[in-house]
Amino acid sequence: MTTRVKRPGQGFELAMMTPALILLAAISLVPLGTMIYMSLSKVSLIGGLSLSFAGLANWTRLFTDPDIGASWLRTVVYFVATVGLEMVLGTLIALLVHSLIRGRNLVLSLVLIPMFIAPIIVGLLGRFLFDPSFGLYSWLLASTGLYEGNVMGSVGPAMYTVIGLDVWEWTPLVALIVLAGLTAVPTDILEAADVDGASYRHKLWHIVLPAITPILLVALLIRSMDALRFFAIIFITTNGGPADSTKTVPIRLYDIAFRFFDLGYASAVGLTMLAVSIIIATVFVRVLERREATP
Amino acid sequence: MSHSSFDRRSFLKGAGGLAALTALGAGGLRNALAAQIADDATWQQAKGTTINFISENTPPTTAIAANLEAFKKLTGITVNITQMELGALVQKVALDFGSGRSAYDVIYADPYQIVAPYRQGLTDLNTLNGKNGLPAIPKGVGDFIPTQLGAAGYFENRKSLYALPYDCPTMIWIYRKDLFDKYHDRMAADLGFDPTPSDKITWEQYYRIAEWFNGDHVKEVKYGTGHQAKQYDSLQCDFSNVLMAYGGEYFNNGDRVGLLGSAEPGPCTLDQPAAIEAATFYQKLLKIADPGSTSWDWTGLANAFGNKRFAMMPQWHEFAGSLESGDLKGKVGYAPLPTGPKRSVNLYGGCGIGINGNATGKQQTAAWLFLVWATSPQTQLAGLKSKAGGGTPTRTSVYEMPEVQKASTPPTDMPNMLTADTMKVAWQPDHIGLRPKIPSWNQADTAVFTELSRMLAGQKKPAAAMKAAKRKVDSATGA
Amino acid sequence: MTRISHVTSRVMRFVLVGLVLAWTLVPIAWMVLSSFKPDNVITSASPQLIFSPTLAHYQALFSGGNNLWHNITASLIVTGVSTAIAVVLGAMGGYGLSRIRIRGKQHLAFWIISTRMAPIAAVIVPLYLMFRYLNLLDSYTGLIVAYLSFNLPFAIWLMTAFFDDLPRDLEEAATIDGATKWQVFWRVALPLMKPGIATTTILCFIFAWNDYAFATTFGGPGTSTIPIAAAQLLTQTGIDWGQLLAIGTVVVCPMAVFGLLVKRWLVTGLTLGAVK
Repeated sequence: MTTRVKRPGQGFELAMMTPALILLAAISLVPLGTMIYMSLSKVSLIGGLSLSFAGLANWTRLFTDPDIGASWLRTVVYFVATVGLEMVLGTLIALLVHSLIRGRNLVLSLVLIPMFIAPIIVGLLGRFLFDPSFGLYSWLLASTGLYEGNVMGSVGPAMYTVIGLDVWEWTPLVALIVLAGLTAVPTDILEAADVDGASYRHKLWHIVLPAITPILLVALLIRSMDALRFFAIIFITTNGGPADSTKTVPIRLYDIAFRFFDLGYASAVGLTMLAVSIIIATVFVRVLERREATP
Repeated sequence: MSHSSFDRRSFLKGAGGLAALTALGAGGLRNALAAQIADDATWQQAKGTTINFISENTPPTTAIAANLEAFKKLTGITVNITQMELGALVQKVALDFGSGRSAYDVIYADPYQIVAPYRQGLTDLNTLNGKNGLPAIPKGVGDFIPTQLGAAGYFENRKSLYALPYDCPTMIWIYRKDLFDKYHDRMAADLGFDPTPSDKITWEQYYRIAEWFNGDHVKEVKYGTGHQAKQYDSLQCDFSNVLMAYGGEYFNNGDRVGLLGSAEPGPCTLDQPAAIEAATFYQKLLKIADPGSTSWDWTGLANAFGNKRFAMMPQWHEFAGSLESGDLKGKVGYAPLPTGPKRSVNLYGGCGIGINGNATGKQQTAAWLFLVWATSPQTQLAGLKSKAGGGTPTRTSVYEMPEVQKASTPPTDMPNMLTADTMKVAWQPDHIGLRPKIPSWNQADTAVFTELSRMLAGQKKPAAAMKAAKRKVDSATGA
Repeated sequence: MTRISHVTSRVMRFVLVGLVLAWTLVPIAWMVLSSFKPDNVITSASPQLIFSPTLAHYQALFSGGNNLWHNITASLIVTGVSTAIAVVLGAMGGYGLSRIRIRGKQHLAFWIISTRMAPIAAVIVPLYLMFRYLNLLDSYTGLIVAYLSFNLPFAIWLMTAFFDDLPRDLEEAATIDGATKWQVFWRVALPLMKPGIATTTILCFIFAWNDYAFATTFGGPGTSTIPIAAAQLLTQTGIDWGQLLAIGTVVVCPMAVFGLLVKRWLVTGLTLGAVK
């Protein structure tokens, strides 16, 4: 930021930001404040909403609730598996598409389709494909002898399936972002490496990956935010079962908030989720900034 | 009581007239009967009003939605129907109550998920029934099947009436009649008892029949029995039939907590020996059931039955309508569920419709007119005939109509009525199964089906599962 | 390198592309195909490839009271307007944030993106009460505001990154020539930002387009979006698979064409932006 142009005040920049910031504050700070207040209250919906101060009751319950603990463990598995697979597969698909000379546009636009289908429809499509009595994939698994049992009704396979559906839907987003990064890697560097006879793997590790690391982190940040927020796929397929094996924190939160209407406790759970998201994001942003600082 | 016997007599007269009126065609019939309930001025008193009806996606609502023109012609009231899955409905209604508004004037009031926790949000229908120039319920509330009126309409006592019985899915034994007929003699010889489904068969015998079908005796189906054992409400329903048949109860005074409900049901009794015995049997039964069972709710189960995967299932009787319109038409049989050491239990899953307490003035009047019309005998009869779906009647008088009685044997234009004889038994006080009607039922339900799902996955023994369920139910009810 | 390894790598590439396409497209192809099957074929125990096709599911979808056109219109209005507002305010806010020199700028930027991390199920109730108070339930405005709650921070965040990347020389030259700040933004910076704007638009569009949780809570009969229409096919007596698959097909086909059209923009847009 060493510019020599004289700058008169910052009124313009502030004015540009103001509308967005006011709107954002209204639709985020008010709910946040309400959530904090509700997390300290006993909330009753009957006869109109009423709150009575409950101190830290919801918070002590949060830290002693074994079900929430178990859900967090499952959430970690789900988070690492979905985001991890999406990053790896998305990068590989991007590299593959990038290496295509002909048909690149066609392949790319076909690969992108899943992310345009709402998760709720993806979940229902999953139920359609894995139904034990008429699902195409159940039938394929059974007739190839890979898995004879009930995919969505068994502990283990149910989790793999909901992870698979999430990966199916969101890998394209990662692939797209990474592809954009690849397009920006200067071709002359790659060509120079070719002349040197460098192997593909060498090129990948030492030239391509370092060049796209910042954008990989951007993709990682976007997906991490949403992996904790979105719950529609699990909600519509297994809804947490069987034997609670897919009951991640967002699904449990939905139960607490909208089946039990225990809104005070739900707010406490929601706030911890927000805190976890912020911690994860902070780590990623730090890494991103450090990367940028060292050109 | 003298009132209701009078109603009964006057009804029988009406029924005769009804048969005659049928010849006039549906339109004429509807108007003539509407005139019996109230005069035109009464029907037209909320003319020009628009009301919103929120309902689960259920057959009677589908039939009513297809028939709304008739109500509009009669009353001048426009009804917007929003149909959704029950979970989403409960969420919307609770938020509606909590924010003190009446976005939905008429509410599909599930006794367990709406009436028990949110009854204060509903209007006491006694304050409207026949009062202030409003029409009375035709034939009185005594015409509703008594167990259904108790379960769907009241809470704790019979002072306030929160809802009128609207639909009445109840679990019965649905089976492949063609297979049971074909293999009857071989089964009888192999098993040593007459396998014809009825409430004389015990659950143990049901198990043995299922096992028999699992063997290589039949080519038509792969498995004997299928269940709705997804970790969901359906699993608790499926289990409740067995639980109560074995003499297990969710709470002491199960009959009272089930029929009228209680805000303070006391400690949960799922840890008692009878309940553990029931859970042990249920686990054993599910081991030989179609392995798809653990991912099916009721719809998935009905689909699989339609796909000829298994020979029998405990299932909601209203699925008869869709089963009889598929390629199993005429091949399906119905019976009350098997009996346990205590009795045969057929779990009731019906709902009422009620009026949002935040609805006022014309809105409330229009909502009441709609309730009267929607639960009237002629609408229930129209529902039975509806091509768009339609449920089964909640009124005694409709079952007594000659044309309805005739429809209970094939061939029929009211496929749901093929279950009528079974239902007459299933709804008797000694056959009906009633879940606890308590304000924290959603938590209790979740605790029960989660623990059952763990048991079925082999993670917990029956006793441990039942004890864990009891602990969680108690913490939900504060007992 | 040798010719043989060159051929092997081409074959490998073919196989890999085939695998990726199979993974992505088999479910979609099966969905599209099955949407033309009669009900009993859809749920038949073994997959059927040969059947007499029917348009019944599409007819059911586009006729009667629950016409899907209402849902398509609602989806397009809500998604379109909220995306437009997010992008306009995001471009302005992003430019401001990128050019302003204040202490704690990173903290402000982080706060903005952190508002997008709030768990959906937890923010629904406060938002519901707010909308109820402002009378925004079951209105397009309500859903648009709800979608802004996650798309506005996203747009500002992305646009800030894009503007950070933009070379300053041109803006400085324009300033020296006597252009006002607004003119610099409007005439110089914004035109260079077209690909970035396209990227932001498309990503915001996807997030709003795919939402179910907000639509089901804040929406109502007048504002049912496509995901709501899909969820309504789950009834007490069965899932109407035929219509569901038809809805899926109706959503996918225009999107496939759309993807083909905007792909160029997307890739170049992201290139200019977040990558340094």
